[in-house]
Formats: sequence, structure tokens, C-alpha cells
Amino acid sequence: MKTYHLSPWARARQEEFGLLFYDTRSTTMTFVRSGDHLLAPPVDDRTRPLGIVTHSPAEELRVTRVLDGLEVKGLVVAS
Amino acid sequence: MSLTGERLRAPVNVTWEITDRCNLGCRHCLSADLRRGSLGELDHRRCEALIDELAAIPVFQINFGGGEPFLRPDFMDILRYAQRKGIVTCVSTNGTLLTPSLVDELAGMELLFLQVSVDGASPATNDAIRGEGTFDRILEGVSLLAERSFPDLSLNMVVTSVNFHEIAEFHQLAASYGARTRLSRFRPSGDGSRMWDEYRLSREQLAWLAHFLGGHPEVLTGDSFFSLTNADRKDQGLRTCGAARMTCAVGPDGSVFPCAFLCEPAFLAGNVTDEPLASIFAHAPIMQVLRGLEVEPCHTCDRFALCNGGCPAVAYFVTESLGLPDPECLRVAIPRIEVA
Repeated sequence: MKTYHLSPWARARQEEFGLLFYDTRSTTMTFVRSGDHLLAPPVDDRTRPLGIVTHSPAEELRVTRVLDGLEVKGLVVAS
Repeated sequence: MSLTGERLRAPVNVTWEITDRCNLGCRHCLSADLRRGSLGELDHRRCEALIDELAAIPVFQINFGGGEPFLRPDFMDILRYAQRKGIVTCVSTNGTLLTPSLVDELAGMELLFLQVSVDGASPATNDAIRGEGTFDRILEGVSLLAERSFPDLSLNMVVTSVNFHEIAEFHQLAASYGARTRLSRFRPSGDGSRMWDEYRLSREQLAWLAHFLGGHPEVLTGDSFFSLTNADRKDQGLRTCGAARMTCAVGPDGSVFPCAFLCEPAFLAGNVTDEPLASIFAHAPIMQVLRGLEVEPCHTCDRFALCNGGCPAVAYFVTESLGLPDPECLRVAIPRIEVA
């Protein structure tokens, strides 16, 4: 599975429902109901990797689709 | 963007009335009561401590207002400090203190959005609200920003019966400076309560405004007009009150309130000098009241999904109840007019 990092202009916060993304270019928010599958990067980690937790290939596929959508929005970068 | 079904553990943005000093005396000032009851301002060290706290939560955005923020001598340092922490800063200013050197500094900043208040498209209209000679002074400042192609600039007009007829011209005025148009709702808080009867929009004006906003998705509203939201704008911004859910307000002395329109003693939630903001937001009884608010009379309305009962602040100041429908809801104000 690819690794994903927050884009330089994106912010993310852990919430009960999953991750809350914020785009500093537009001040818009994106609510991602990812439960415990996605983890916001630690505030002090400069590389800003997203944590990804999956337990099966099906979960991995679903999470990858979500991340690909976030990449299209410019909120995350895959590497 | 959806909020109605989700509960956030902390605010996403915080409105911070960083000073109660102001060089104007606008007739509808929502902060007038804060100024009259001033208990002073947080000192610089305490301001930095609050920013540290917001960055750790993390809060994504601080909306700086006042008073006039640029009257505070250390405001630029505070702004820079927040930006260094990665927080987006939005500054609401009356524009009269913008000088070439200040604008040069602002133009070099990242994570900065500027909102300049102008209450009309002509000197006569604006000056009747914001004071004699202010229209020209404000636009001098706006010109400086435009000359430097300041990218994230909006001109904000609080829509009242006095300037309503100039909305279209105001939109053109903003565009002529390369700025976005922002229309804000006139609310009966602070001095606005004393001007409510004179300045509030008529039913027909509310209906026209809803139509105008529906046809102009590029016009910003700061989520203040969800009571008027048409289906055309239903996916733009919030469709419910964000007070105590995604936002809160901090007064000059560190007092915390559910939102900038509810800065009254009855809504005081705590003070950041006594308790962390995150704790006040999560546990203060008044925050929980706002979060749990149900405007039951609205539940059967066909517009409920578009506005969730509207603005509790307007309802409170007009009806003295938090649980009643927004008095300027299109269905309440204009029951016989069909709204898309």
C-alpha cells in the first residue's frame, strides 16, 4: 500500500467520526468518516504522514479509495 | 460540508476580539457592549500562550476582530506568531489604518485573509452607518491592498435597510478592487439591538436577498445567512448554527462565548486565563446548551434541512428564547412566498 502525507496547505484533526481536513487555501473543511482507519499525523511531525490501519484486503481497498479521493482534492499526497 | 450529524471535540475556528479599542463608532457595532464593559485585554505573553493552546488542539483558523485589531500595537507580532504555528488568520478591519508600510508587511504574509468592512457602495450610505468621511478613508486602504495585488481580500457589507439598495453596486465595487464580496447578516447584538427596528430588512428584502445569494455563489456570506439558504446554495458552507459546535468567541479579556453574536454575560462560558479553551468548549454548561439546542417548532418545516432553525442569537435577542425559530427565517418572515 502506498504511503500518504498531508499536502503542505492541508491540516487534519482526529475526531470521533474519523478525520476532519481543512484546506488553508480556501478555508474549507472536509469530513471523512474513516473511523479508526485513518490517523492524523502528530502535530510536531514535519513529514506529516497519515496513519493507516486496515485489517483485511477489503478494508484496504475501501481506505485506498478514500485516500485517492482526498488526493484528487489536493489534501493528501501519495508516495 | 456537513456538520449537523457530527460532533467535534474542539472548535475548528475561533473568533478572537483581540482588542476593544476602536477608532470608529459604527451605529450597528456588535462589539459595543463588550467595549463598554471592558475588563482590559490579554497581554502579549498571554496572547501567545493562547495561540500555543489553539495550535495544540489544533484549531485551524483564527478570525481576528475587535474593536479594530490594528489599533493594538503588538497585533502584527501576534498575527505572525499564529501564522508561524500554521494557523490560518482572518482579520476583520475597518481599513482606515492601512498604510503603505503596513500593507507591504501584510502582502508578504502567508495564511492571511483580510476582510475590510464597507457598509455601502457610496459615501452617503456608508458614512451614515460608519461615520463621516469613512468611505473615502476605507477605500484608500483598499486601494493600497489592490495595488499590491493582495490575493485574499474581501469587502464586507453588513446588509441593512440603509444599504440594501446598493448590494449590486457593492458587488461591482469589490470586483473593481480585485476583492471578493462578502455580505454579512445584521444581527441585533451590541449596538445592533438598538438599531434593530431601523436597520432590519423587510420581508420583501429578505426574499430578494435569498434570490440574489442563490444566483451569486461567488458571494461570501461567512455562513451568516443560512436562515435564507436556498436550495441553490445548500452545499456551500454551513446549514446550521456553528456556535459551540465548530466555533466559539474569545473576548479581549479572555472571556469565552459560544459565538461572536452571543457575547453577553448570560452566555459567558469561562475565561482562558482560568481554564484551557478546549476544556471550556467541551464542558461549560452554556456550550452544552447551545450544542443540544433543538428548535422544535421548525422540525416539520420543509426548509428544516436547509437551516436547522436558523440563528439562535437573532432568535434570542428578538424573542428572548433560544428555542424559537429564527425570526428572519423565510418561512416565518414570508410564509406565502415560494422559495426554491
